[in-house]
Amino acid sequence: MTDRKDFLTRQEFMAELYRYKKGSVTRRHFLGVTGLGLATSVLGTAMPGLRSAAFAQGSIGDRVVVASWPNYHDPANFDAFTAETGAAVDLNVFGSNEEMLAKLQAGGSGWDVFVPTNYTITTYVEQDLIESLDLSKLPNYDAASFDARFADAGTVNGTVYAVPRNWGTTGFVVNTSQLGGLAKPTSWKEFWDMTKAEFSGRTMVHDYQLTTIGNALKYFGYSFNSVDPAELADAEKLLLEVKPHLFAINSDYQPSMRSTDAWMSIAWTGDGKQLHRDMPEIEYVLGKEGGELWSDFFAIPKGAPHRDAAYALINYLLAPEVNAKEVAFHGYPVADARVNAILPPEMLNDPIMYPAADLLNALEFGAAVTLTDPNRAELMARFKSA
Amino acid sequence: MRIYAVAVYLFLYIPIGIIALFSFNAGRHASQFQGFSTQWYGKALANPFVMDALGTSLIVAFASATLATLFGTMAAMALQSVKGRLRVAFDALIYIAVMVPGIVIGIATLIALVTVFDWLNPLLAAVWPVAEAAPRLSLGYGSLIAAHGLFSMALVIIIVRARMAGMDRSLIEASADLGATPWGTFRQVTLPQIFPGILAGFLLAFTFSFDDFIIAFFVAGSQTTLPVYVFSSIRRGVTPEINAIGTMVLGVSLLLLVVAQAILQRGRKAG
Amino acid sequence: MRRQDLKTWLFLAPAGGWFLAMLVLPLIVVFVFSVGERGAAGGYVPAFTFENFLNLGARWAAFKNTLILAPLGTLICLLIAYPLAYFLALRTTPRWRTVLLILVIVPFWTSILIRSYAWIYLLGGQGIPSLLNALGLGNPRLINTPFAVLVGIVYGYLPLMVFPIYVALERLDKRLLEASSDLGSPPWRSFLQVTLPLSMPGVATGCMLVFILLMGEFLIPAMLGGGKVFFIGNALVDLFLQSRNWAFGSAVAVALVLVMLVTVAAYLRFTRRWAGGRDDVSLM
Repeated sequence: MTDRKDFLTRQEFMAELYRYKKGSVTRRHFLGVTGLGLATSVLGTAMPGLRSAAFAQGSIGDRVVVASWPNYHDPANFDAFTAETGAAVDLNVFGSNEEMLAKLQAGGSGWDVFVPTNYTITTYVEQDLIESLDLSKLPNYDAASFDARFADAGTVNGTVYAVPRNWGTTGFVVNTSQLGGLAKPTSWKEFWDMTKAEFSGRTMVHDYQLTTIGNALKYFGYSFNSVDPAELADAEKLLLEVKPHLFAINSDYQPSMRSTDAWMSIAWTGDGKQLHRDMPEIEYVLGKEGGELWSDFFAIPKGAPHRDAAYALINYLLAPEVNAKEVAFHGYPVADARVNAILPPEMLNDPIMYPAADLLNALEFGAAVTLTDPNRAELMARFKSA
Repeated sequence: MRIYAVAVYLFLYIPIGIIALFSFNAGRHASQFQGFSTQWYGKALANPFVMDALGTSLIVAFASATLATLFGTMAAMALQSVKGRLRVAFDALIYIAVMVPGIVIGIATLIALVTVFDWLNPLLAAVWPVAEAAPRLSLGYGSLIAAHGLFSMALVIIIVRARMAGMDRSLIEASADLGATPWGTFRQVTLPQIFPGILAGFLLAFTFSFDDFIIAFFVAGSQTTLPVYVFSSIRRGVTPEINAIGTMVLGVSLLLLVVAQAILQRGRKAG
Repeated sequence: MRRQDLKTWLFLAPAGGWFLAMLVLPLIVVFVFSVGERGAAGGYVPAFTFENFLNLGARWAAFKNTLILAPLGTLICLLIAYPLAYFLALRTTPRWRTVLLILVIVPFWTSILIRSYAWIYLLGGQGIPSLLNALGLGNPRLINTPFAVLVGIVYGYLPLMVFPIYVALERLDKRLLEASSDLGSPPWRSFLQVTLPLSMPGVATGCMLVFILLMGEFLIPAMLGGGKVFFIGNALVDLFLQSRNWAFGSAVAVALVLVMLVTVAAYLRFTRRWAGGRDDVSLM
């Protein structure tokens, strides 16, 4: 690790800095003559914060617009990003990939960064709604340290369109203090049966076709991703039977679980962890029959208005230190070996975040066809409308 | 009867009271009161996106109301001397504009503009001298002002026409007989009479645009108006910041109405 | 004569152009899309088929909910608003009247989103139900029901209903009432035969305003219905912003517009008999 700043006096350094700020010299000149360019690139491996500062030498603008999921981001990390770069983070929250796709298809979304799930990326590429990523602008992303299983979906036809953020599972949360002598449910069959009986009026499902239809299909032992009309018909029958017994159809179930208006809900890993941490009686269960395994990515939509800010934010959030802080907040597992090296062991052994192998093997990744299949979309709409 | 009125007022204001109450919540959630604090007002005012949304709302409201009032008044005046099919056509248009629900207008405008832009943008890029700098049409201020102004204009035409119908024609004839130019007659006879209608139209248009959510939700594109911002905040997870915004809007409206009333009272006493 | 025409055309052109571009064109696009088909990943592809209209039954529940709750909400709004408007117009001193009027209008200017959000709390487990529970009246489920949506829409649109009725009642010539009582009519008779008929234009305006807005409503059902109570508006939002079937969504929109045209036309004809003939909707 060399530090060549010693042959520049303090005055000379300040003079170069002033010239750079005035615009008389380019960034490249400034970084080169002060040796900061080389120093930073070397230091950067150990200090990710410095890396993003170097990138942000050129102004990235005053804002970055993000489209993401509920309870997914630590506000403190966004505040730190804003403090460092001057760009405020405008967070828009969605409950399903379909809503994100719809907004992008309608055009003019104004998003800079969005968080698609693994099975949607090929569709975004086909529809020309997503930009290929310039990995040189994401120095904090080290492809080698990521588990390929959760990173592969971001690369389509050899081009990287999305970098992995975190992965997770879809199960359900249940408030065990309301069971009243009933055994804790461990399967989707029990989930749906209890909804019709003991937990009537207290169960929630997602406003999201993949998980709601998928887990209804699981009741019958069908594939989570099925688009077979006969199997879908069975699922629809179940869903329509269940609907009067539902508390709500909403992908943002945490508030209702916390207020105990709802006692059970289809849920994602991190929400399960957050709820269990604050209310230990709420447990996260993976249905025995199976369910969804998923990986979420950072991506940049076509025509993002603040592209530099987008890269800066993604780069910032992928730095292992920052990513570890995010994990501590949202409770979703990350496939980055560097992050797992920093996390406390009790988190790595947490069965919610890292389920047992047999449960994990029963899970399926979502399939791209479910996003575009008109029958599944219409089924969900009919179910909501009924 | 008085008891009934009190009950209705309570019904109207208890939810608002709860909103205001939780705006002073020291805790993070808008559902558990955890001590008194004004932090959320500071946060709301310091939030650049709130200020942005407010600015957009004000600009769009002012622009759409002004254009709607101007064009609507002109149309109302012109329609006085129009008969036959043109008159029927205009009446039908006004009727449709008022009657079609906002959500249909919003959706229709969205898909129409998206279709037009998809068709127009490549054309523009092809004919523009510098291909990279070709303007890219998209949803934003323009579409907001255009969509809001439509409904507002219909309102203005209805109101001003009603006002004109109640006008005293003889004064206009007298003015013409006395040799005044049409413009002079308009300025000194017609305008003062219809002015309350024009003003009312403008205020209604402004209010409608400022408060509108449904149309903005569909056609705002990358811009955010205040109601759309509140909506996405609710989806984001409600903090008392929203309560603070709501209470502030309430306070400002109350203040404006009281001031307006005071001015009117003074005008009445003087005139 | 020609100059007159030119000036008239000039004055009509901006408004006319605006109507054509932002009303006629979008509605034409909706009509065209309604006979099209869903794109592969959603959206619209040009086609000519009536299948979307034949499929409208799939949203029957949404139509039913709207066609029941919108008129019901309007009616309840009217029943609550009329006595209040009467009180304000005929039973208050001018000094109080302005203050009370302002107090009615101001809630209308607070975002309906935020006001409805208060009801999520009030009707949720920690609000009124817990109060009823403490009083020993059981723990009823109020939130995410059609009842909650009804409360929300009545609450949201009450000020809008009060105002036109107040305006109509305020214009009432008090001497008519005096004459009626002088002629020996009891108060309730005067009300039925004098006040009520003369206030009908205001009632008609208020009801129509509220009804039109309710037919297009989707926010309140979304917030207070928990995704379980679908209005036509919700079906539309879903079709364009989630299931992305623009063709079918356009057909639903066309159906909604037709329903509105029919009901409003029938309504106008009905009220015209009461109000004694009015050519256009008078909002003031």
